[in-house]
Amino acid sequence: MYYYIFDIKKCKKRSLVTDIKNYLSTLGISGEFAYPSAAYTTEELVDLGLSKKYNTIVGIGGDEIANKIAAKLCGNSAALGLIPLEASSDLEDLIGAKSWKEAAENLRFRKINEIKIGKTANGSAFLTSLALDLKMPTEVTVEFKDFLVQAKASSLTISNFNPSIEKIGPDYLDLVLESVDPREPALLSKISNFFGTKKSEKINLSLFRGRSLRLFTNSQVPLVAGGETIAKTPQLIETSDDNLRLIVGKKSLYKCQE
Amino acid sequence: MENNVDTIIGINVTIKGNLYNKGSIQVNGSVEGEVKSDENLIIGETAQIKGPVIARVIEISGEVKGLVEATDKLEIHPTGRIYGDINAKSLIIKEGATFVGKSIMPGEAKAAAEVAKPREEVKHEVKSEEDEKDSIEQIADKMGFFSKK
Repeated sequence: MYYYIFDIKKCKKRSLVTDIKNYLSTLGISGEFAYPSAAYTTEELVDLGLSKKYNTIVGIGGDEIANKIAAKLCGNSAALGLIPLEASSDLEDLIGAKSWKEAAENLRFRKINEIKIGKTANGSAFLTSLALDLKMPTEVTVEFKDFLVQAKASSLTISNFNPSIEKIGPDYLDLVLESVDPREPALLSKISNFFGTKKSEKINLSLFRGRSLRLFTNSQVPLVAGGETIAKTPQLIETSDDNLRLIVGKKSLYKCQE
Repeated sequence: MENNVDTIIGINVTIKGNLYNKGSIQVNGSVEGEVKSDENLIIGETAQIKGPVIARVIEISGEVKGLVEATDKLEIHPTGRIYGDINAKSLIIKEGATFVGKSIMPGEAKAAAEVAKPREEVKHEVKSEEDEKDSIEQIADKMGFFSKK
């Protein structure tokens, strides 16, 4: 029933692999284990698992493996389970598990939440966030359906799930852009904030929502999800048409206004 | 990040096109186009908008060049500048604010029209002396004054 794709590079101690396997057996949810390698990529292992009719594919590792499996399982009846190892706190909040043990217990209860995922035009996916990898403030243009956004951005993140932002709908992406504030030098601002002489006003933060957007920069900039470059600008980014069946725990922070 | 705000336009960010939200909008940057919200619209000190703005409640501390339409309340703060007409159910203009335009309050439009209407001239019918003489003779004739002769 369970097909585990284990990214053993995320195990700092060798014994952790055995510990996880033993714990899954104790919970009665043991299954077949596969390991991504030069011979078999994560995507190929997902195809292999599906061909063997497993109805639950579990990724053990970080955001990188979670995104890769999610991209393959979106629109499929098989569910995605995750056991986080060195994963981002956003991914842990999405599945509602702060440790691998807690995540393993969630798998046993198999509570499924059907969610959309973020996708890029080149077929890559992200469960939580995608960030523009900017080394310095850069001119960016974002094209939404009815309007165009232009700014010199010091950071830009597109989120499918961000625990600090409530989604307005399951198929909306949240774009957070930090623009350069021309009113005062950054150093002076930092000093005044340090001494508490200035009330911190983050008026250089922008938030936009949309189902689909096009991102442009003057020169090509990488787009990073889970520490891995999954695409480059210019890029079309949108929510998936199909749902992903994701196993979550009671503590999952995923919520929508709709 | 501000709570309960669907869209925030930060300082030094330019929007071209029409922005419509069911939820609240906060503007600190520039917009060239229509800004419309079913809820609150907060226009910060650094904001510059060229185009109509429409919302339930509007607070203006920045600059708007265009129609401002608040279905509920409009408040212009001391740093607020409006160059355009206002249509608001309830209006607060703080000291120091700039407003160049015409203001209309829905529901009060009829009263405003009456005040603006030019007073009607009272028409008096003035009869000439000849006409008056004729009419006296007609009355006398009817009463038989002349037939008794």
